[in-house]
Amino acid sequence: MNEIGVLGLGNVLMGDDAFGPYVIKHLESAFRFPPPVLVLDAGTPGLDLTVHIRGLRALIVADAVKAPGPPGEVRLYRKADLLKAAPTLRMGPHEPGLREALLTLEFSGGAPEEVLLVGAIPDDVVYRVGLSAPVQEAVPAAVAEILHELDRLGAPAEPRETPLAMDLWWEAVEGER
Amino acid sequence: MSPRITIDPITRIEGHLRIDVEVNGGHVTDAWSSGQMWRGIEVILKGRDPREAWLFTQRICGVCTTVHAITSVRAVENAIGLEIPINAQYIRNIIMAAHCLHDHIVHFYQLSALDWVDVVSALKADPRATAALAETLSPWPKNGYREFAAVKDKLTGYVNAGQLGIFANGYWGHPAMKLPPEINLLAVTHYLQALDIQRQANKVVAILGSKTPNIQNLAVGGVANAINLDNPSTLNMDKLFMIKDLLTEVAAFIQQVYLVDVAAVAAHYPDWLGYGKGVTNYLAVPDMPLDTKGTQFDLPGGTIMAGNLGSVKPITSFNDAYFRDNVQESIAHAWYDGDWSRHPYEEDTVPQYTDFDPAKKYSWVKAPRFSGQPMQVGPLAQMLVGYASGHELTKKWATVVLDTASSLAKTKLGPEVLHSTLGRHACRAVRCAVLSDLSLKHWGLLAENIGKGDLAIFNEPVFPSGEQRGFGFHEAPRGALSHWVVIRDGKIHNYQCVVPSTWNAGPRDDKGQKGPYEASLVGNPVADPQRPLEVLRTVHSFDPCLACAIHAVDAEGNEMSRVNVL
Repeated sequence: MNEIGVLGLGNVLMGDDAFGPYVIKHLESAFRFPPPVLVLDAGTPGLDLTVHIRGLRALIVADAVKAPGPPGEVRLYRKADLLKAAPTLRMGPHEPGLREALLTLEFSGGAPEEVLLVGAIPDDVVYRVGLSAPVQEAVPAAVAEILHELDRLGAPAEPRETPLAMDLWWEAVEGER
Repeated sequence: MSPRITIDPITRIEGHLRIDVEVNGGHVTDAWSSGQMWRGIEVILKGRDPREAWLFTQRICGVCTTVHAITSVRAVENAIGLEIPINAQYIRNIIMAAHCLHDHIVHFYQLSALDWVDVVSALKADPRATAALAETLSPWPKNGYREFAAVKDKLTGYVNAGQLGIFANGYWGHPAMKLPPEINLLAVTHYLQALDIQRQANKVVAILGSKTPNIQNLAVGGVANAINLDNPSTLNMDKLFMIKDLLTEVAAFIQQVYLVDVAAVAAHYPDWLGYGKGVTNYLAVPDMPLDTKGTQFDLPGGTIMAGNLGSVKPITSFNDAYFRDNVQESIAHAWYDGDWSRHPYEEDTVPQYTDFDPAKKYSWVKAPRFSGQPMQVGPLAQMLVGYASGHELTKKWATVVLDTASSLAKTKLGPEVLHSTLGRHACRAVRCAVLSDLSLKHWGLLAENIGKGDLAIFNEPVFPSGEQRGFGFHEAPRGALSHWVVIRDGKIHNYQCVVPSTWNAGPRDDKGQKGPYEASLVGNPVADPQRPLEVLRTVHSFDPCLACAIHAVDAEGNEMSRVNVL
């Protein structure tokens, strides 16, 4: 059973919305994680997020965040910050997001006790593969925050002696794979 | 000017589905459905290797991942005339069915039930009376007094603490809420049980797909699930029996709980078996193939025009010319350059945004048409096509849901009530029951075939020079999904996805014909324009999913949605 989840949320086809998946690929290429840690590029699962986070002791999420500030600014949020606003109006299966998944588990049971959202403010979210320059530059800072949190939780990641190539399959063009 | 209500959730950086309705005398008199986001997968896929297209299409939508993956490999296989081993067909079928069971359960309980169920009213329920009622409806073992009392206590604690958490944004106490407290408590209890069950369905996808939400086991030509019954790292006996147990558990919930709950809601909202009819041309594609070519299926497909079940015309193979030749998309009212109607092979996607203007262009969604007609897709379409084609499993489960609702409503309800808002919910439950049976049937077919010693899972694709065109379809949770690919010299030249929510949520076409969402809203009541619950009921009944790409958290709790009444 995983005790700690490190999840990247976002769509790799939508420009800076891919911040979360990029952070995950960076972590996977440069570090090894102890067995209780789940590291997952979770895409944009909506309420299906509950499947992946239920029963975790602690959750760390990397995602693009809508917040005031310049593109590429990294902002941190704890569980109480995320839960203080009301859930959104439901129109489709995507409207529920991280907040709604956490609220659902608060009611049903199985919500992580600790949550850290490592967010980056996007520049543009458009139909495009790849991050904008300021958000690309935010990736190492987000990785550092996640490593720091894993240390604090008593599950430190170990640097790989030889980093693996980053599996950015969505960036690969003809002949590169 | 008539009062106009705009419902526009702006939960992400860009909005998604926006609905505008005009209300006169407490009823909707006109409606516009608008997708607020641009998509054009061919822009990203052009020039790429067709064998990898499924990895990208799987990312179009974070909820419908598997469906876009499977439809993509089918389209490429169709273009090069490639059959796949029967094991691969069965493994894909089990993944599709399990994903669908998961998706339908979440849609009903977590995303739609609270349109009909008043959580606050459940506080007034007597858990003993709830248990007594539940026992008359179903043999489900978790319908006892203790379960209901525990949920009532939990809910009471929530409300007494002055917060409703996940339920905080509901339309509690709305005049359109009609269920008695006991049924409300029953439904809230099943809301919680559904969270457990949908995880079990998801585990089946994870075992076969090796990961969720994005599966890893597909390939153009088959699947990548090596089969060796004695090897712990392949698809083996242990994993096969784990899958069977999970599917059996999910099937019990669907047949003993979900179907019954839908019937109970329908019986208490008879008006909603009349509202929400809209477009009564229906399109469903056949699925759960039983052979390597895709010429025999366990779920029938076809069209029904003008609500006449006698008009059913079948779609019979992965190469069906009736389907292939009759799909077109119109951009007369969509924000693209031009005003053409074209076949998907001939389309391009040149965005040209102008303001929201109901008389001109007002959506990013194109308007698909079949032989020039708007078509409704989804579980209602599929169940009606099945019913009209004499499909035994469909008739069996449709009869169960209609008989249960009839006995609770104390009036005879026939299949004609299914052309409605609640009919769409009922048919989703019926389809779920059909697929719960079929998932186990295909598990048996897979196990039997492996038992014969056939372990084949993959046929190597070969891409000749020159141009090939192909299409693939899948009857996805939200209805008929098709991908259309043009390959030149082994590279993708064009790629179009005609998705279920495009069929249903599309705008008017060049002839001014409304799309299914728009048509279904006309005539809906609206008791309180500030809280347009009734509009949401009909929109939710289609299970809209065109949000498909954006996901930035609004971490600081700014305005999350807007209901404007002008």
